[in-house]
Amino acid sequence: MSEKDANPSAKDALVGGSLFGRWEKLRGREGTVVGITAILVAVFPYLFARAPVVSGILQGYQSLATLILIWGIFAIGFDLLLGYTGLLSFGHAAFWGGAAYAAGIVAKNVSGDPIVMVVSGTLFAVLLAWVLGFLSLRRGGIYFSILTLAFAQMFYYMAASPLAFLTNGENGLTGVEVGSFLGVIHLESDIPSVGGMLLGTWLYAFVGVFFVGAVAVAYRILNSPYGMVFRAIRENEQRAEFVGLNVWRYKLMAFIISGAFAGIAGSLFTIHGAYVPLQSLFWTESGDIVVMTVLGGAGSMFGPVLGVGLYLYIENIVSTIQALTIPFTDIVLIRDFGFYWHLLLGLVFVVVVWVVPDGLWGILNRLRELAVEFGSKAAERLRSRSKGGGR
Amino acid sequence: MTLLETENLVKEFGGLVATDDVNLTVEEDERVSIIGPNGAGKSTLINLITRRLDPTSGDIRFKGESIVGLEPHQVVQRGVSKSFQTASIFPDLTVRENAEIAALASERGAFGFEFLKHRDSLSDVHGVARDTLDSVGLLDRADTVATDLPYGDKRRLEIGIALASDPDLLLMDEPTAGMSPEETKSTVELIEQVKRDHGLTFVLVEHDMEIVFSISDRIVVLSRGGIIAEGTPDEIRGNEAVQEAYLGGVEL
Repeated sequence: MSEKDANPSAKDALVGGSLFGRWEKLRGREGTVVGITAILVAVFPYLFARAPVVSGILQGYQSLATLILIWGIFAIGFDLLLGYTGLLSFGHAAFWGGAAYAAGIVAKNVSGDPIVMVVSGTLFAVLLAWVLGFLSLRRGGIYFSILTLAFAQMFYYMAASPLAFLTNGENGLTGVEVGSFLGVIHLESDIPSVGGMLLGTWLYAFVGVFFVGAVAVAYRILNSPYGMVFRAIRENEQRAEFVGLNVWRYKLMAFIISGAFAGIAGSLFTIHGAYVPLQSLFWTESGDIVVMTVLGGAGSMFGPVLGVGLYLYIENIVSTIQALTIPFTDIVLIRDFGFYWHLLLGLVFVVVVWVVPDGLWGILNRLRELAVEFGSKAAERLRSRSKGGGR
Repeated sequence: MTLLETENLVKEFGGLVATDDVNLTVEEDERVSIIGPNGAGKSTLINLITRRLDPTSGDIRFKGESIVGLEPHQVVQRGVSKSFQTASIFPDLTVRENAEIAALASERGAFGFEFLKHRDSLSDVHGVARDTLDSVGLLDRADTVATDLPYGDKRRLEIGIALASDPDLLLMDEPTAGMSPEETKSTVELIEQVKRDHGLTFVLVEHDMEIVFSISDRIVVLSRGGIIAEGTPDEIRGNEAVQEAYLGGVEL
């Protein structure tokens, strides 16, 4: 490359560098985070389910996009507890499933208005989290996890038979009729014109608003005194107590806040499916949210959402692959490939936790750091070269 | 004014009497050191005062009110702060955040509902944290992650956290344990500077006699859980019982 060529490209690199610097400053701001989330939420179903080529490769579909956002809300709230406060709850199915049932029962007996469903489901989850947190947080570490698991299983068995007159027992809560939003918009119908091309259904838009709201609230919590106190409790609980903080009440608040997120998600799950499976209270749901959060990266804001995406993608799309072939050929590598999706998920989980303990988000972060390092080195090299050229 | 007093304080672990009928008083503006051989019950006494342990019998009063029955964080809120024997810090938080946690507790109380309030608006907390880091000489390292500090600085931060709680009484459990001679020297300077600047009342548990004799107004000697002597450094130095029982007759 001649010196003449190097000069303009050095200029470009410098402009790029300052743009990058500006971006690094903006990156942490609340407005930027929420704005970018909103944009991603808006284009996600298009890319996933409708865009040419991309969606063809991904094989995504609209209702899975909605489901990913719903579980995403759950995971963001769960990570406030697991990743930030360092409390491993193994009973969050109680809040997810409890809210789902509460929303469904309210829809059947009181009002099918989606807002009423979300509010009542979330309120139920918050009250339940308050009580279960109050009881479970008496003990620390593994005992806390076991207590949450035991309480959640109690709710599963209660829903299965003693409360079957309310929950419809083993069959799950059927016949939930979700009313129209504000009395005019049917959530399952498509949005007209460009909005429809991007978002798809009104239901997705409805869930999307809650998702962006959840991100905004969670981000604010992390930047509030609570965010700092939660991490302090995770790092050194005893010290937090001995600087004069009421650790117990902060832990209870972390538990209730994460219960509220699970409640919003659970209520939306009922609206999404117009049905509540008994499974939603089972302990495996509690396990799923732990796996999703850790897979994505516990202790990061967006990591758990990535974990949710990968988990649900493998569960719903990879599992439908009949035979794994070498691309563009008919050579079959593994027959009934989809049948082994649990195994695949387990392998992915083990590899991620082994190689990058901070999960998928950790991988992205490392790539970003590499890019920054590479970028600054390249800019420096070009700068020194352009200085030489000026002489 | 009497800041802290323990009355017939007893702590038994099974059959072992770790604290034996201790009557200790600490006046305001006084620097008291507690010394004694290993197993004399120094740490137990500190842990009783900070409410980490429940006494078997007896009473502990701070500013005239009994603190037996309070939670540890409530004792801190009353004005008793403790620096730990090991660097008990928040390793993955920055040095500034470490100080801010303590400042938050002292400025805004043990608990609040401000989970939707941005931290940037807590200017009082930031102010206290900055002043504290300045006084322990860590302000220029405020953005360092605490775990990356050298050991001596971690111990400084440990003392900083205790100071940021804005205590009326500071309990220091072997602040120089495990330190190199240089680190020990700078920690002693730090303690003396804190004593000058903040006019703080403190109780020091320490093995290093040089430190004890240089910074204490009064020394309390514990042996087998009970107080065997107390007095000014000169009195303790000349006390034969102490030399015999505890120092083994070594000339000081």
